[in-house]
Amino acid sequence: MKRIAVFGYSVMSLEAMSRLNQEQYSIVFIAKDDAEAALVAEKGFDTKVIDFRNDDELRSIGIGADVDTLFCFYPRDFDNVFLTISARAIDKNITIVAIVDDPESAEKLLAAGANKIIDPYEICGRKTHEMLTKPDITNILDNTVFGRYDLNMAQIEIPEGSCLENTKTSELKLNEKHNLILIGVVDRELGEQLHFAIGEKEHCLDAGDVLVVMGPAREIKAFKKEVEPCGD
Amino acid sequence: MLTRLIVYFAYFLKASRRYQSAKLFFYNLLENPDSRLKSYFDVVMICLVMVSVFLLIHEVNNPLSESEVLFEHCVISVFIAEYLLRGWLYSDNHKIILEHYEKAEYLNVPFRLNRVARIILAKKIEYVFTPLALIDLLAILPSYRPLRVLRVFLIFRLFKLFRYFNSIKLFANVLASRRFELVTLGIFLGFLVFIGSTGIYLFENPANGGQVHNLFEAFYWAIVTVATVGYGDISPQTTGGRIVAMALILVGLGVLSFLVSIIVGAFNEEMDELRENSTYAELNRFDSFIIICGFGRVGQHIARQLEKDRLHFVIIDTRESNVLKAKRLGYLVIHEDASKNGVIQNAGINNGATAVICTTGDDVINVYITLTSRHLNPDIRIISRANNQDNVKKLYQAGASNVIQPFEIAGMVVAEYIGQPVAFEAILGIIREESHTIMETLCVHPGSFVEGMSIAEIGFEQRKLMLIGIISANPEHHTHKNSYPIKNQHFYFNPEPYFVLRDSDLLVVIGREYAIGYFRDQIEKSRLKSGRQR
Repeated sequence: MKRIAVFGYSVMSLEAMSRLNQEQYSIVFIAKDDAEAALVAEKGFDTKVIDFRNDDELRSIGIGADVDTLFCFYPRDFDNVFLTISARAIDKNITIVAIVDDPESAEKLLAAGANKIIDPYEICGRKTHEMLTKPDITNILDNTVFGRYDLNMAQIEIPEGSCLENTKTSELKLNEKHNLILIGVVDRELGEQLHFAIGEKEHCLDAGDVLVVMGPAREIKAFKKEVEPCGD
Repeated sequence: MLTRLIVYFAYFLKASRRYQSAKLFFYNLLENPDSRLKSYFDVVMICLVMVSVFLLIHEVNNPLSESEVLFEHCVISVFIAEYLLRGWLYSDNHKIILEHYEKAEYLNVPFRLNRVARIILAKKIEYVFTPLALIDLLAILPSYRPLRVLRVFLIFRLFKLFRYFNSIKLFANVLASRRFELVTLGIFLGFLVFIGSTGIYLFENPANGGQVHNLFEAFYWAIVTVATVGYGDISPQTTGGRIVAMALILVGLGVLSFLVSIIVGAFNEEMDELRENSTYAELNRFDSFIIICGFGRVGQHIARQLEKDRLHFVIIDTRESNVLKAKRLGYLVIHEDASKNGVIQNAGINNGATAVICTTGDDVINVYITLTSRHLNPDIRIISRANNQDNVKKLYQAGASNVIQPFEIAGMVVAEYIGQPVAFEAILGIIREESHTIMETLCVHPGSFVEGMSIAEIGFEQRKLMLIGIISANPEHHTHKNSYPIKNQHFYFNPEPYFVLRDSDLLVVIGREYAIGYFRDQIEKSRLKSGRQR
């Protein structure tokens, strides 16, 4: 189970927390005071109150130990930069996702060691633009990737000893057998890149390859089961 | 008898489609400031005037060749035709006749033709005496041989350019707006020149040892001095004359700077309006454009995307700093409050705009703009931004077609990024069209070869396309499984091989740009072909 620490109270942090599956992730919200902690706790999340400027307190919540991912969602860029630098200094491998208010701060955050920068204004601008130019596609994606309905997009890694090992992608026939559409494959032999399943190239699946599929949630679950090692 | 004939003729003109369209054509050609035809016509006329003036200058020293004379005649006939056409457009005679005739019928008094004729004549004379018509006339007259004396007036041809240059008109308008100041200054100047010229004449007449022989010379000297030109051909010799000169020069400096400041001030004041007018004019030329209300951070991103797509758009914002930023980026911008009906109407919500985007940071304003836009145009697409979750419903109520929540979307994106990075990056890549693989919708046009075909027959795999699903409002498809309602349509995910396509279904496919493009072309071509056969 991945452990995520969320810093900074905003609409965005609440949205992100509620969207993450509580069964897969253990989320802890770091509040700056008790009132904020109470507000978030009301929504059913674990909370802790610490001063993020203090390294010892950061360690106390598990950074450098069991926290895998850090969300820096403070409204002010310099708070995020400071937190990113502190956390990166404590743990080299932690994944840090930070939001940025001023686009100029994006580089600073990256330099400070953030893995992913989110600019809410940019995302919103892009989204509006997509809605304008491709309303149909946007509608479908809203309902699938951003899962408002039952349709989902999921990535499935082929584990060692799976019955799908050494299967060719064209033999999968997911759309007939599972009512799933295979969007693409990450073939580890060819690198980290995703290859779209548009009939260009045949991929032979090995352990570690990733399938990106789209379909109803229960079909995805069923398929995941099938992918698991045959012996079990 | 004649009266009845004329009234009958007037009715005939009123009913005649051809007459009306001819008049409209000439109106668009000559007078309508918004018509494109007029701008072409103006350019042609400017060239004609320039060439003819050049010919006149050439004629001063060299006799004209036969072809040049012919050209001159052509130019003159164009001028005459233009003059007469403008006179014709100036008033509608048949309307005047009918108006009076109907009035007379209604009141049961006899209809007098000569009174109406007088009114019509008065109208046309009014036209002849408008300044621009006078200039036109004076540009034509000197070409008539017996009136060669009037050759000086040929210079009026250049004045004719007034008609065709909008900027000259603007300059005249700006000056006209400062009429009061200019007249006051003019009176003061006249007074000054009068005092100066009488003074210099008194001091400097030859009897006193000066060079000023008459009042005209005194006047000439005063003007030259006040304007701070000072040729020096006449210079004061007596002490009294020199004192007059000194005073006149000093006051002249003041008057000149005053004049300049009036004109500059007037221009500064009018400039914003002029710029806005040019924005509106430019918008008028676009067949379709998007109105963006609010040029904050979100608005800027949208504008950048639209610019990349070469789509036209106009920005409306009240904040000075945002307007300046937009101007610096070269976008069309209106510095006004978008919540006012007039502003958004002028921007063309009913005149070419395809969508309104409300992206101000204040939900209250967004709701208001949405409501205003929906009220003005019930069919337009409105995409509105909600900064607060509670306001989403209100925006939909106000008439928004889509509502965007920046922080919610960002939160969603973060969650996806953490949960399924590969899937997420893939889909982002598709949407942003960063790779050559894109997601598109293809319409099944009625009459195209795909209509009535089943999914298996089309063979998406051979076409190197991936079919995700079909969007359709056709009730015939309801029996298929995997349908998801989207607004008033259904999205059929992963349709079975025997799913038969009907017209206006939308195919959602992923594939290389050219594979999609090729398939689309095939659909389009087959539709055209079948259309022709019918």
